Amino acid sequence: MSSSKRDLLPGTLDLLILKTISASPMHGYGIAQHIKRLSRDVLQVDEGSLYPALQRLRQRRWLNAEWGQTPNNQRARYYTITAKGREQIGEQEAGFDEIVVAIRRVLRGAT
Amino acid sequence: MNLTEAWNRLRDRLRRERLTSELDEELRFHQAMLERDQPPGLARLALGNATSHKERARDLWSLGWVDDVLQDLRYAARGLRARPGFTLAVVLTLALGIGANAAIFSIVDRLLFRPPPMLAHPALTNRIYVAQSDRGREGVWPGMAYARYLDFTRSTTSFVRTAAFTTQTLAVGVGDEAREMPVAAVSASFFGFFDAAPALGRYFTAREDAAPTGTPVVVLSHVLWEVRFGGRSDALGASFQIGPTIYTVIGVAPAGFAGLSPTQPAAAYIPISTYAASSGFQGSPGDEWWQTYHWNFAQMIAERKPGVAVAEANADLNNAYRRSYAVQRDISPDIPPIKLARPRTIVASVLAERGPNESKVGKVAALVAAMAVVVLLIACANVANLLLAGALRRRREIAVRLALGVSRARLIAQLLTESLLLGLLGGAAGLVVAQWGGALLRSSFLPNDSSTTVIGDPRTLIVAGAAALIAGLLTGLAPVWQSRRADLAHDLKAGAREGTGTHHGSRTRAVLLVVQGALSVVLLVGAGLFVRSLWHARDLRLGYDVDPVLALELNMRGVKLDSAHAVVLRQQVLDRAQSLPGVEHAALHISIPFWRTLDGRNGIGVNLRVAGIDSVDRLGEFYLDAVTPDYFATMGTRILRGRGIGKQDVANAPGAMVVSEAMAKVLWPGADPIGQCVRIITYSTTGKEALCTYVVGVAEDIKNESLSDDKGYYYYLALAQFLPQQAGVFVRLHGDAAAQAEAIRRSLQPLMPGASYVTVTPLADVIGSQMRSWKLGATMFVAFGALALLLAAVGLYSVIAYNVVQRTHELGVRIALGGQVGDVVALVVGQGLRLGVAGIVIGGMIAFSGARWLKPLLFQESARDPAVYAFVGAVLVAVAVMASYVPARRAARVDPNIALRAE
Repeated sequence: MSSSKRDLLPGTLDLLILKTISASPMHGYGIAQHIKRLSRDVLQVDEGSLYPALQRLRQRRWLNAEWGQTPNNQRARYYTITAKGREQIGEQEAGFDEIVVAIRRVLRGAT
Repeated sequence: MNLTEAWNRLRDRLRRERLTSELDEELRFHQAMLERDQPPGLARLALGNATSHKERARDLWSLGWVDDVLQDLRYAARGLRARPGFTLAVVLTLALGIGANAAIFSIVDRLLFRPPPMLAHPALTNRIYVAQSDRGREGVWPGMAYARYLDFTRSTTSFVRTAAFTTQTLAVGVGDEAREMPVAAVSASFFGFFDAAPALGRYFTAREDAAPTGTPVVVLSHVLWEVRFGGRSDALGASFQIGPTIYTVIGVAPAGFAGLSPTQPAAAYIPISTYAASSGFQGSPGDEWWQTYHWNFAQMIAERKPGVAVAEANADLNNAYRRSYAVQRDISPDIPPIKLARPRTIVASVLAERGPNESKVGKVAALVAAMAVVVLLIACANVANLLLAGALRRRREIAVRLALGVSRARLIAQLLTESLLLGLLGGAAGLVVAQWGGALLRSSFLPNDSSTTVIGDPRTLIVAGAAALIAGLLTGLAPVWQSRRADLAHDLKAGAREGTGTHHGSRTRAVLLVVQGALSVVLLVGAGLFVRSLWHARDLRLGYDVDPVLALELNMRGVKLDSAHAVVLRQQVLDRAQSLPGVEHAALHISIPFWRTLDGRNGIGVNLRVAGIDSVDRLGEFYLDAVTPDYFATMGTRILRGRGIGKQDVANAPGAMVVSEAMAKVLWPGADPIGQCVRIITYSTTGKEALCTYVVGVAEDIKNESLSDDKGYYYYLALAQFLPQQAGVFVRLHGDAAAQAEAIRRSLQPLMPGASYVTVTPLADVIGSQMRSWKLGATMFVAFGALALLLAAVGLYSVIAYNVVQRTHELGVRIALGGQVGDVVALVVGQGLRLGVAGIVIGGMIAFSGARWLKPLLFQESARDPAVYAFVGAVLVAVAVMASYVPARRAARVDPNIALRAE
């Protein structure tokens, strides 16, 4: 793991992936790039966590995977969100907010 | 993990190959993109360890321990395929053991465990037996008077419902379709015991089942409905003759309904109140069948109220019985007082075979089941031995794998997987054995059973599966135990050759061998005892010939003939029978040994008076037969003194009787019986007016009641002088009597008036049932004993042979050093013999201590017959010597040079 990369909070990777593909279908590399870009390089998702996570989400039926063509005519697997996946975004986001608020409270209390 | 995820995991598991290659492609694409967007060095760093990424994804497509098991199974299967001979031997061995168990279980289950189908509350339902003492000896019966059943029902509070029932073989249908079938006469309450809605129509009501005559309505069994009415619904309302009575069909029982006797289901169910008329029972006025206490035709079942224990119910019934007995004594003051009779009830299992009147066949079946378990144990010991030898041969392989870091738990799992796989294969093959052998067993134990086969029976399948698993585990234990003790360093050094550290291995195998030997001794001793019982029973002089004789019965089926016409008909049948080809002799009679008396007056109500003896009856039971002149020639019963019943003994001649030797001895000890006067008192005569019947001859004793302890008091009157209501015909034939039975029946049937008919039964069938339990015991024990002996012999042979191979070097050295070939052979054979003798001693001790359970099933045979023990011992010694001699000879031929060079 590269030193510049921050460890993700547990469960947040699923949320980031779902949020990312909820706008438009994307391949694995695209998802990783998207997260990196939007987080201004703070969050780097390596393939070691990304692809197992994608498999897991597929097995839960939160996303679908289909092979397609990139604009450069390369074969790549595109991930699309399912209805069940969309439901999850709401739930997971609420959970994430709760954790963030909780952590903030602890941090504030400690200072 | 939720269900969707689990399901998808399973699906992914099945297409793992494709998913892996897709992931590869995805990662390659990812890498290509990284290389395009970033400097080369950084890209490689970012990609990290591609293999471990794949592993992590792959974990998602696997099923954890399931994959481990699958892997072990594949490994085990590959191992077994590599040793087809070994695998076949083990699977066959286990198949015999498991198959024997499955087959016998299907029978024992039916006899002893499985409640009748559709019975609503098997745990609360009981058969009721009555017991009463006579001169200090207690008799136990399932049958009671209908009045007693009514008393029990009225004056008990422990039961939800009670029912009375009885089964009799009656002619069902008319004309060519008429067949004798078991018909159940049941009270209307009977059907309430079952969760069995009628397939058609309805069951009869209490109103239709009211004494004295009931309403002639019938509920057909599903089978009879299909056979006779083609399953049509217009069967309802049809008239249908059963026995002498014409019934109206009101319902059809559901398919599979068998009442209380699944092994011999009734063809039809009639109200028990119509039974008295059908069976021809007439009580005297004021003593009708539903009031009398001496016609014990009804059996009773009762369903306890929930929460009422068996003991409570029994106490309740006992009180009812005592009250009922008091009522009976008011009616007939001559019965013994309650203090002497000690009437009591027994609330027993709904299964007849588990009640107090269980048959010997049931006991033999239970014994055979125990034998089957023993055979399976022997098979397991054998297989364990083979696996152990295999494990020892693979010590090095196992040591290497342990050294490579395979955990012992995984190793044990692998060993057990192999033995379990063998167990399951054995189980599958065992089902084939059971299906095939089960038919054989079934025809011996349950001749009338038409139920499903072994493979179609879930309970048997479960037992077979359990037996397979247990066998797998048991056989796997020895190698696992062995591997637990494996000395890694030593094994790595020693390789495949057995060294000093492996004695515990040989010891385990020696113990297994002794166990096998001991168990086979037990089975063989059992076999010997039963075979000798059977011999004794066969050699027994019954006092008559069985094989050449046919018993003919004239079933009048409601056709009423006055006595003159009955005499004419009997004479016609007798004359026709005598003229038929193949018939040597024929005679009329009124009794059939071991079976039934054809005349109600026989035994009951006939008293003998002999000058000088106060009460002849006190001496014992005297059985009466009334016969025509050719009787003794027909039966082959020898006349020892005087003459038999002859043509001269006509109605108005002086009364003549022939007595059995035992009877002559007890009535006139030391005196000449010929010419003695016996006064025969019947309903119609009193002591004073009875004329003398003179003894004209003495016949040999015959077995009439039991093969073992029969007093043999038997006397014969001239039929022409006795004139019974009914009589049957015995026919003696040249050649195979049973084969000619149907021809004889067809020749005589035209003589029968109206719906009456003739049945012809070989006497061998009647007497044969007496020998059934010994025959069964002998056949089963011999079969299982031989199987056990074979397995033990193979086991002994394989272990000794294996040992000889292991000791090739040592034996070679012995010979090189000048040892004699004979010494080497003696050494090896001695080893086998020691194991054999240990088995004989232990097995002999087990058999000896178990003898008292076997004793009641044997006939004129001590359960500790030394001849049997000696014979079995000799057989086992012979087997041990043979099994070790062959490998010993091979050992003796070892070229010392080869043995030494091999070092």
